[in-house]
Amino acid sequence: MTVTTGNTPFAPLLEIALGTDTFAANWDHCDRIATYVARMVSHNRTDSLLYANLFSSALNELLETAFRAHNGGGEISCTVSRSGPVDRIELTIPCNDKITSFYANAINDLSAADVADRYVAALLAEGELDPRIGLLELAVDYKAKLALTPMGQDKLRLVADLTLEDTY
Amino acid sequence: MSFTIRYDDNNQELVMAGAMSPRAADELGELRTMFEKATTQVSGTLYLNVKRLVRLNNIAFHELARFVAKACHDKPDLKISVVTSSVVGWSARKFAKLAHISPNISVEQYDKDFYPGQGVLEDGGFIPILRTQTKLTWRHEREILPRHGMRPGLAVADICCGIGDFAALLAKEFTPSRLVAIDHAKPSLAYARKVAADFGIKGIEYVYGDASSLLVDDNQFDFVTCRHSLQVFDKPELILKELFRICKPGGRVYITNEKNSHCLGEPRGESIQWTYNEVAKVWAHFKMDIELGPKSRRYMADTGFDDIRMESFMVTNLDGDPQDFADVIQAWENVYAGQMAVERGDSPEFIARFRQGFQDHIFAALHPKGYAGWPIWVASGRKPA
Repeated sequence: MTVTTGNTPFAPLLEIALGTDTFAANWDHCDRIATYVARMVSHNRTDSLLYANLFSSALNELLETAFRAHNGGGEISCTVSRSGPVDRIELTIPCNDKITSFYANAINDLSAADVADRYVAALLAEGELDPRIGLLELAVDYKAKLALTPMGQDKLRLVADLTLEDTY
Repeated sequence: MSFTIRYDDNNQELVMAGAMSPRAADELGELRTMFEKATTQVSGTLYLNVKRLVRLNNIAFHELARFVAKACHDKPDLKISVVTSSVVGWSARKFAKLAHISPNISVEQYDKDFYPGQGVLEDGGFIPILRTQTKLTWRHEREILPRHGMRPGLAVADICCGIGDFAALLAKEFTPSRLVAIDHAKPSLAYARKVAADFGIKGIEYVYGDASSLLVDDNQFDFVTCRHSLQVFDKPELILKELFRICKPGGRVYITNEKNSHCLGEPRGESIQWTYNEVAKVWAHFKMDIELGPKSRRYMADTGFDDIRMESFMVTNLDGDPQDFADVIQAWENVYAGQMAVERGDSPEFIARFRQGFQDHIFAALHPKGYAGWPIWVASGRKPA
């Protein structure tokens, strides 16, 4: 089976869905899900261990972002699909207006010319860590292409396209 | 979170390892305490060893950056050297951000220092000779391996797999259920993948990795091989510890190593003997022990293996085509006399005599009545169940 997004066919690899409240009950779920998914999708990459380590680090940041910015109730899901060297992560996250606005602004800021400087500044800033930091890292260090798709009033889909074998 | 932090006062080194992904900065109290203690005690340079830190989320990085910034502020003369590993793909890029805090912070990759002879041995020109070496040793090892526990259907890891030809032979002969081949030389792995693709060999996972600090989880493999490699590290016990770690309880680790001073040949035995005694000294100069073979039993016992089995075999000019043997010796001469002795600063007279022993070994190998040998020691041990 293939799904088509835009003009590029992506073959689905794996989907994990769990109740949002269950997900949000334990911070370690981010690390565990990231590690599990990375292992599953990396085995047939050229260098499976290196790829899994990179993929899990990237996915962990996305999941940690979602952990902090989601609405209660419903289901959160993580889908990974593949088109050649590109792996697509799609997080479906329950949201409200405030959360949708957070993601929309964050994604919008990623297209700024000085996004790399912003990322470094956020990493080294005094005080609380910028909640957008994971998205900044993906855009700058992992060169991920990030996009947001609204799914009605109470859900959004965060899409991250990663090309890790060429990047590292 | 599963990570460890320790401070080694002797080396002024703060070592962080594992997965560090806290939910909140205050979970890193132990790191803060250790970091403050280290910066108080250290004079000159503090080394932050993160080469086995496989996960570091932004919360932890942000907090670590705060500790680093405070240390640089409180102690302006302090230098901080962050030691990463190329095996953890994100590490060098991420930690490079710390250099924005102060010019006293540097970020470097550890791996190159750990492999003193790597530059020489990874030279692409050495690849064909590695294939010939494996061809010569395989005719012995295919018979030897089952005596050390190799059988079909095992989960196998070949650490320091080089150009991957041994792994390919293992796959063909013993059909493992899983075969992971790891090396620290990207050119060798690229070659290995190409050869596997060209010959339609599927199912071998060729992986870039640091043998002293593998990304592989504990207790993964029934049989772990590491051939001709402990002898090229200056800390072989660290490699063995890693082989032990990734081996399943009850599984076995199989190593081969040489004692080059025992290479022999006739005629011209005396010249050959002199040269190979000198080979051992040249390797020692580069912090490698080409005499390690017979020491394998001790190394394995010290690491904690039991049921240690050991034997040796001699590759000779009578194993197939004598020209193969001669080609191997010629390659050794090119590297040992042509590169390593030159780099050591040896005189032309020494190098000429050094080269002569290799040529005499080749003479013995190709002589119709000659005999030339290259001894290899095999050792294997069981990880206690």
